Amino acid sequence: MSRTVAVARMQLINKWTYIGWPLTILAASFLMSLAIFALIPVNEGKYGGGSQAPMWYFLVLGIQSMTLVFPFSQGLSISRRAFYLGTLGLFSLIALGMTGLYLLGGVIERATNGWGVYGFFFSIPWVTDGPWYSTAAFFFVVMMFMFIIGFWFATIFKRWGTTGTLVSTLGTSIALIGLAALTTLLEWWGHVGAWFAQQTPLSISGWAALLCVVLAAGSYTTLRRATP
Amino acid sequence: MNDTIVEARNLFKHYKELNALDNVNLSLTANRIYGLLGRNGAGKTTLMSILTAQAFASSGEALVFGASAYENDSVLSRICFIRESQKYPDDFQPQHAFRSAALFYKNWDQEFADRLAEDFQLPVKRRIKKLSRGQLSAVGVIIGLASRAELTFFDEPYLGLDAVARQLFYDRLVEDYAEYPRTIILSSHLIDEVANLLEHVVVIDRGRIIMDADAEDIRGSAVTVSGSADKVDAFLAGRKILHRETLGSLASVTVDEALDSRERTEAQELGLELSPVSLQQLVVRKTMAGAAATGTGTGDFADDTMEARR
Repeated sequence: MSRTVAVARMQLINKWTYIGWPLTILAASFLMSLAIFALIPVNEGKYGGGSQAPMWYFLVLGIQSMTLVFPFSQGLSISRRAFYLGTLGLFSLIALGMTGLYLLGGVIERATNGWGVYGFFFSIPWVTDGPWYSTAAFFFVVMMFMFIIGFWFATIFKRWGTTGTLVSTLGTSIALIGLAALTTLLEWWGHVGAWFAQQTPLSISGWAALLCVVLAAGSYTTLRRATP
Repeated sequence: MNDTIVEARNLFKHYKELNALDNVNLSLTANRIYGLLGRNGAGKTTLMSILTAQAFASSGEALVFGASAYENDSVLSRICFIRESQKYPDDFQPQHAFRSAALFYKNWDQEFADRLAEDFQLPVKRRIKKLSRGQLSAVGVIIGLASRAELTFFDEPYLGLDAVARQLFYDRLVEDYAEYPRTIILSSHLIDEVANLLEHVVVIDRGRIIMDADAEDIRGSAVTVSGSADKVDAFLAGRKILHRETLGSLASVTVDEALDSRERTEAQELGLELSPVSLQQLVVRKTMAGAAATGTGTGDFADDTMEARR
């Protein structure tokens, strides 16, 4: 247990990686969005996609945790289990903190009617329409998903090299295309559309959380036999 | 005191078309300095990786402190193995790497690490990915020394280090080892440089252990006899010859046997000259003799690709 906590502390030794960069990216994206909102002379709600910027950094963070931090942890004779739990645990805390920031940003945004320029950065139509916990669940799950997907593909790369990565990414694409083709063939698109129309941000978060759990379990199984 | 802390039993590691480890059996005891010697790609790093559970054997057993190191915190916490091509987190500076090591090694000595960093003139506040090869090696050397782990591996620790820095490393290693005895496994192909440090020598070639003996016993275990070719050959008839060199009518022959005092006197009377064989020469001769015996040549290319792959 103490070694798991030590893994988390180790990754906070350089504060930039897990705290500094996400905040910098969020702030830069926010300020740029505001500047653009201010330049558009329209006095009604303007929505931008800038709040997704940190999510892409989390994808990279997931990849680097595996390709660079994992080999280092092996050099310090840290077990794969401690590395996995410490890293994922730390990221969950970071994702929680970021979610808090997004919620707070959303509150201020609505109170100031879009920062005085009718610009909405943290509010996203449909996603943030529900109650606060639905919004929170959505942001948290998306952040976890980005990190875990990066982490898992990097683990696959570590274990099976370029071939493994190609096979798994192509395999995933082919499976998705296959599903789409099957849906077309069976004329199920109507049902699929109806299903999606019924979903709320909260239920989508639930499904995505389930996917995250599956991916996290897959990552761990793959990591168990990975070499630095 | 003399308990076994590393034990390998019938270890094999197969890659596609070569055996990186080929039935390795090994037993190392506590508080000694071991040399793990061999050519590039001989299997040194593979063996160390498997012992520390960084990599997996195809078959066989690797026990450290009596158990497998795999996912075993009570074993892992006593091991340090910074590999020659060690990777570090992207944003890390040497000082971050040292603070990380301090989190995991209960005997970590920060003062010692600081002193070493000064000795090696290591810029501790520069990003690791901007360091030169020698400075990168210094980071690994400092973690290995200052962690004072009961079982410490050094994997070709001198790469890119200049002669002064290498000497510093050897000196600090011996000093600190005298004060804090532990088991050290030093993998190297610069044999002459480390020969004096080693208490026990393990030589690995193409995945096989070809020598496993105390340094004490190795000194004098082989001898080179030189003089006129026919006299040398007559004197050494029936002995285990490692190497033979001739120049005109003169021959210089290395035998893998010690000579007793009667034989030495006899050699002197015949006018033959006896000279000791250095550890490096012995390892080179034995490796080449082994290659010739199996008829596979020295396998330069296979070895190099092996190293690059890793």
